[in-house]
Amino acid sequence: MKKSFVFTLLVLFALVLSPVAAQEDTLTVLCTPQEDWCVAMTQAFQEQTGIQTSYVRLSSGEALARVRAGASNPEFSVWWGGPADAFIAANEEGLLEPYESPNAEQIRPEYRSEDNSWTGIYVGALGFCSNVELLDELGLEPPTSWQDLLDPALAGNVAIAHPATSGTAFTAFWTQVTLQADMLEYPEGMPEETPEAGADRVIGTGEGYNEDGTPTQAAIDNAFAYFAELNNNVLQYTRSGAAPGRMAGGGEVAVAVVFSHDCVRLQMEGFEGVVTTTFPEEGTGYEIGGMAILANAPEPEAARMWYDWALTAEAQAIGQTVLSLQLPTNPEAPIPELAVNLDEVNLVDYNFQAAGENRQAIVERFDAEIAPEPAE
Amino acid sequence: MRRIVQDPVLATALILVVLFIFLAIILPLIYTIRESASAEGLALFQRYLTESVYQRIILNTLAMGVMVATLGTLLGFIFAYVQVKVKAPFKRLLHFIALVPIISPPFALASALILLFGRNGMILRGIFGTRCFWGEGRSCNDIYGLDGLTIVLSLSLFTVAYLNLKGMMQALDPALEEAATDMGANKWHIFRTVTVPMLIPGIAGSFLLLFVEAIADLGNPLILGGDYEVLATRIYVSIIGLYDTKAAAVLSVILLLPSLTVYLVQRYWISRTSVISITGKPAGTPQQITHPFVRWSLVAIVLAVCFLIVLIYGTIFVGAFVRVIGVNNDFTLQNFDFVINGIGSEAMTDTTTLSAFATPIAGLLGMLIAFLVIRKTFPGRAALDFATMLGIAVPGTIFGIGYILAFNNPIELTLPGIGNITLLPKLTGGRAFLGGALAIVVVYIVRSVPAALRSGTALLSQIDPAIEDASISLGADNAYTFRKITLPLIRPAFLSGLIYAFARSMTTISAIVFLTTPQTKIMTAQILNEVENGRFGNAFAYCVILIGIVLVAIAILYLTVGSSSGAERTLEGGA
Repeated sequence: MKKSFVFTLLVLFALVLSPVAAQEDTLTVLCTPQEDWCVAMTQAFQEQTGIQTSYVRLSSGEALARVRAGASNPEFSVWWGGPADAFIAANEEGLLEPYESPNAEQIRPEYRSEDNSWTGIYVGALGFCSNVELLDELGLEPPTSWQDLLDPALAGNVAIAHPATSGTAFTAFWTQVTLQADMLEYPEGMPEETPEAGADRVIGTGEGYNEDGTPTQAAIDNAFAYFAELNNNVLQYTRSGAAPGRMAGGGEVAVAVVFSHDCVRLQMEGFEGVVTTTFPEEGTGYEIGGMAILANAPEPEAARMWYDWALTAEAQAIGQTVLSLQLPTNPEAPIPELAVNLDEVNLVDYNFQAAGENRQAIVERFDAEIAPEPAE
Repeated sequence: MRRIVQDPVLATALILVVLFIFLAIILPLIYTIRESASAEGLALFQRYLTESVYQRIILNTLAMGVMVATLGTLLGFIFAYVQVKVKAPFKRLLHFIALVPIISPPFALASALILLFGRNGMILRGIFGTRCFWGEGRSCNDIYGLDGLTIVLSLSLFTVAYLNLKGMMQALDPALEEAATDMGANKWHIFRTVTVPMLIPGIAGSFLLLFVEAIADLGNPLILGGDYEVLATRIYVSIIGLYDTKAAAVLSVILLLPSLTVYLVQRYWISRTSVISITGKPAGTPQQITHPFVRWSLVAIVLAVCFLIVLIYGTIFVGAFVRVIGVNNDFTLQNFDFVINGIGSEAMTDTTTLSAFATPIAGLLGMLIAFLVIRKTFPGRAALDFATMLGIAVPGTIFGIGYILAFNNPIELTLPGIGNITLLPKLTGGRAFLGGALAIVVVYIVRSVPAALRSGTALLSQIDPAIEDASISLGADNAYTFRKITLPLIRPAFLSGLIYAFARSMTTISAIVFLTTPQTKIMTAQILNEVENGRFGNAFAYCVILIGIVLVAIAILYLTVGSSSGAERTLEGGA
């Protein structure tokens, strides 16, 4: 656009139309993680392949909305990053093009979809990012459970993103759905033996989970009740999922609900000693950062090249160079020194498929019922 | 009518102007209203207008608009009054500081205000040791919500009122006030019965602009709103988070109603109170207020506001050069490195080029329409003015939605035997014409023309048409008269229109936030990303560069457009 502006002017005034044919020497990436990771990835890919790579950074929910809006004539070829729920929702609507990458075999099966519609590129767990000094003044300890966030002493001192725009916030919401389902299903407490992923679930009261293992409407309603209560403590719903962490770092709020790697990142960016990361004991949600090729992609070949490349250990090592401390899904990729060890965190049994299928209904309801309500 | 047709230059200009206004303003609005008038949309209207949650959001929006319009216009008036009529120290410096907020990149002021007066703000907490202005816990009154929004928006917007009112005050013929003095009226009486009534078009115009700007503002409520929800943020989430064009269109129409109402009231009001004061006859210098109490309290207000502006922009400037301002104040150039050597360079060139393209078009178009509307008679004259003003009376987000709805597909004409002819290519969304740049330039123009038109008409309606009639009767044609007489006469308005257009284009977010494409990166959208991701350092570095670009542009405009020409000298130098 900027190169031949005089030409542009001429074209503009004449309103002559010559649609530029899609060429395979360019690639347009829809990028959901933090901006500098997008920059590093696209630059590295461009250097390796010579393909002119541009990107737009949008939060997960925004990205899904944009893909949906442009379905008939997509502007992007590949969508890289953000919780898998959004990819599953997109796949339900036929917005993704399945691709069986030769490199996908290296990725553990639970980190990719069965129908090859998306593949996981990183994993990260949700946590609480707290301003130590501020909590001290309020006479509170860093929260260690979701109930702690409802403490009236935290009024106006909690920040979280809006689930409609942010995958982080949606992950937090679905985590709550899962926890509420567990409580309904096992009022006596969780069964001792947690079955391995994929194995049959221990059947409880049947009130928390439907027969197919998806959380019941009652569980979803309870999660809404939780967020309605939390709303009284929330200062601001931000657009992007990592933003609340900064508000905690800056001392505007005491506690932020963010992905734990974003809190660690803050510590590296100048907030060392200011913020601390904690996890809810009853269990926290996690994201599998997804990647997919979009249906009717304008640059399908370049998109497949990106897809293969992004699954390599080499590409997955780029994140930590720009302080994106998510855990890579490729077992060969180096684990960032400062990454949160997921084995030490109590993770809920997060049903990504059900989360993706319920996504739209939940965010619409959240946007209508919770977000517009002023805090009491 | 006969004269328009007889002059082909004028007729062509008129047709082009009308066509542009129709395509760029009316058509997107029609699409938005059509979208909201669907069965589903009507059901949403019912819901939004009856549910208490949405009623409160509507009231919030209106309250914010009224507060900002009142405070901002008042500030603008005081600043203008001090400049023109009060003996005050450092006038030029105060004028310069008052101009600074027209270059307020979205989010910059709000971010700086949070850093200064937020709950952990360097001043509120650092100096006064408190997190709330008053109250604590649930009743904590902090910077978030209506009060903070009013302060930030009034500070960002009062310059428009200031420039409008200053131009008009300077143009007022002092002879009127002298006459009143000679007849024994005191200064207060003159102020009430002479000065203010003559400025009413300017005051009303400023109030309209500020009200609409405020209720349309997106950036500030996004980060400073707290739980104070307004319509613009609801519209934003509807599109960006849900891509629910129906809900967005319905909310847009609801937002449109107060904007248009205020606009209509203001039009009706102005038409009754128009005053002609420039006659082309010699005029004196304005009398200065010397009453010590009046003088010093006005100067004190101006100084306090200027101090706040300096503080805020100082924070932005310093914040651009340190790691995390207030937390880790080590000097660094990393932020600039990120912006200049990273993705920022593309955003810088793209935004500047598009703005530079839109500015002269917007300025000239504004003056041309002002000239046509005030001086010429043709059917639909009022409608043309009305439609052009919609460019600002209609909130930016609504244009964003309207453009998506109207221009996401090419507009084609099927001719039998020839095939399809593309009248208008796809302007927005994926693989849009020129990477979406055309749509963005058009939006820039649409959003800037009304300010130029309004200051043009405000000034032109005070200039006696006899001056132009003299030119015509001496044998000059319309185009020559416009170029040689009208344009120089309204040059202050033209200049402020140009400055406004460029600064506005460089800093606009609400109208283009739905229109950016992978090929066209816009600085304000990048700033939003940085602010949202908590990297105030990068965001401030963007802001400093953006402010630098606009300052250079203003300097260029002053040097080229601002120099005195014959006609104006005759008017001013007559005294």
